[in-house]
Formats: sequence, structure tokens, C-alpha cells
Amino acid sequence: MADISLSSLRLIASACLCGALVGCASVTLPPPTASGDTVQKLRASNIGSASTGKFSLAPGKPASMDTSLGGLRGSSVSAPNGSYALYLRDVLATELKAAGLYDEKSAVVIDGQLTDSQVDAAISTGTGRLAARFMVSRAGKQVFDKELSVSAEWKSSFVGAVAIPAAINQYSSLYKSLVAKLLDDADFRMAVAK
Amino acid sequence: MQSQAIVARWLRVLTGIVAIAALSGCASVYVDNHTKEVDSSKFGKTNPPHPVQMLFEFQTKGVANARATEALKKQVLDQVQASQVFTSVGEGPVDGNALLSITLNNVPLTDDAFSKGFVTGLTFGLAGSQVSDGYVCTAKYSGPGQQGSIAKSARHAIHTVIGNGSAPPDATKASDVMEAVKLMTRQIVSNVLHDVTNDVAFK
Repeated sequence: MADISLSSLRLIASACLCGALVGCASVTLPPPTASGDTVQKLRASNIGSASTGKFSLAPGKPASMDTSLGGLRGSSVSAPNGSYALYLRDVLATELKAAGLYDEKSAVVIDGQLTDSQVDAAISTGTGRLAARFMVSRAGKQVFDKELSVSAEWKSSFVGAVAIPAAINQYSSLYKSLVAKLLDDADFRMAVAK
Repeated sequence: MQSQAIVARWLRVLTGIVAIAALSGCASVYVDNHTKEVDSSKFGKTNPPHPVQMLFEFQTKGVANARATEALKKQVLDQVQASQVFTSVGEGPVDGNALLSITLNNVPLTDDAFSKGFVTGLTFGLAGSQVSDGYVCTAKYSGPGQQGSIAKSARHAIHTVIGNGSAPPDATKASDVMEAVKLMTRQIVSNVLHDVTNDVAFK
């Protein structure tokens, strides 16, 4: 609950400066929730029903990219099912389901390959990046193939109790941003149109 | 490299001092009294009655905060359900596609929170500090078959005092941060619900 009160956390953390040097957190990303704005946009669009297919780490990428993150000063963030690629799939499925556009039996299938996942809770400026290659097939024929990425920069802190929750929050929000970018992509919309 | 070592040593010494100082102080949390809870009897009702899909998102400085969303989502869902504005409230699509989207954005009202807490720690709590968190709640609603949406916002604040700072005026003390956040959420959500359901376009 502490990350709900940003300034309070900063105040307490700075009074307990020890947070900068001790304590490592292990956090599991919570189940994804749909975004109202994305659902509104999906409903107003011409996107038809689709399902999610295979989501995995892109070939040639280190296996650790799918399961762990550096840059969190010894703390860690894991996906609920142990794979960031699968978490990306779940975020996409959550948005589609909330908009009433997810159909497991649909002929339109969206696959994904995680190509980048990183976060850095640096002392001054925090950074994060998430990228994936998305592919859409319609009745077995590929109709879309594109790599998309999102990144973020934010003011960080040398106090770990401030910097690490902020970095985790920024990193987890990249999943929603990446999915929103996919759903906004003109070529994607054409590929999954009704 | 030598300068880094000096800084690291300096931080270790300072950490010890401030940690001791922090142990001698305490934090008090207050919920601002300017945004009061609106009784659900003052909410408008759907006519004809129908269900609604409700989506809630907590944000920190405008960035989706998944963990905080998870912590508060059920409370907000229960509050909307208990208001009896809609026949049922759920996260999935409903007949007619009525959609209520509520976002609660935490924005710091005090930018120098770090330095304030730092001073409190160094003075063993003798110099009190206060910081305030602002919250902006926005509700967007589109009724069955409606293309556009009604959008209403409300503001709230939580004040935190560390050390010997005096209590902020016109604020209610909470037992802890959790209680403060829950009370603030309940009050601010009731305000946007009141404004949305009393809009002339609400149906």
C-alpha cells in the first residue's frame, strides 16, 4: 500500500535513509487489468474478434530476458506465470476480453515474441524499455508482422525505497503501453479488421 | 574512483545517523476534510435499470500502478455495487455495453519531500515535516448505446507529518496509511459517482 502515497513514501524513506543501502524486494507482477481508454478505443474501432496464440522469447535472446530483470539494485520482479512474454500475452488478452473482442475460436490469432525487456533504477534518471515482435495470422495465413517498442524515462532517486518501487511501476506499465501501441497500429488494425 | 569511495563512506555514516533518528520519530497520516463523502442516496439511478462494466486504474503521476490498482480495485467495485445505481457491476462486458471507467491518480503536492524528511531525520524528529499527496479521480461513463462519455473529476489529499510537526488544519487523523488511503478513495469515488449520475446525459 506504501506505493499508493508517493510523497509520504518519499518523506519516510528519506528519514530512514537506510533504505538506500539495505533491503531487497522480490515482487510478482499482479494480474493485468484492462484500461478504460483502451477498451473505449477498441469498441469504437473496426477490430474484430481475435485470440492470442504463442508468446515466447524471441530466438537468439538470452533466456534470462524472459524471466528476470537487472537494474533494480538487487531487487527482482517476476511475472505471475514466470515469463514476461506470457505476461505480455495476458495483458493483450485482458484488453481484448474487456472489450468483448476475445474469442478463442477466432480465425484471427495474435502471436508474439519478446525482443527486449529492461529497466534501470538509476540514481538520477530511471529508464525502461519493452519490445516485442507481433504476428497476426488469419485462417493460418500471416497478415501482420511487426516489431514494436515502448520506453520510459523518469526522475529517480538514490534512495532505494523510492527508486525501486518507481522503477517497478514504470516497468510494469510498459506492458499496457506496448499493447496500446499495438492496438493503435494502423497495419495491425487492418490485419484484424472485421 | 576515490571520490566514489568517499561518497559511499559518507552515505554509510549518514545512514547510521539518520536511521537512529528515524527510530525516534513517528509518522502521522491525515485525510483532508475538504472532500467529504457523498451519500449514495444522492446518486442518480439508471432508467431503465441496467448493468455496467467497471474498470478501475490507480496511477502514480499518470503512470498505471498495477500493484495499487490490485489493492484498491475490489473496494471501488464494491462501493459502486453497493450504491445500487446499476443492477450489477463487473469487470466483463455487459449487455448494452455500459462502461464506467474510474482512474485515481496520485500526484505529489510537495516536491521537496525528500529534503524535508532528511531534515526531520537529522534533527531526531525535533524539526517536524509535512508533505501532501494529491489525488485526482476521474470517472468516465458511457451508457447503453452511447458513443460519447460523461467525464467528471474530483480532488483529494492525504497529509503526512513526521516528527514534531503540528497536525494539518482541517484534516482527520488516520490510524495508518492504509486506513487513510481507503477513506480517501471512498470519499473521492463517491464525489465522481454523484457528479456522473446527476449529469443530464446520464442514463
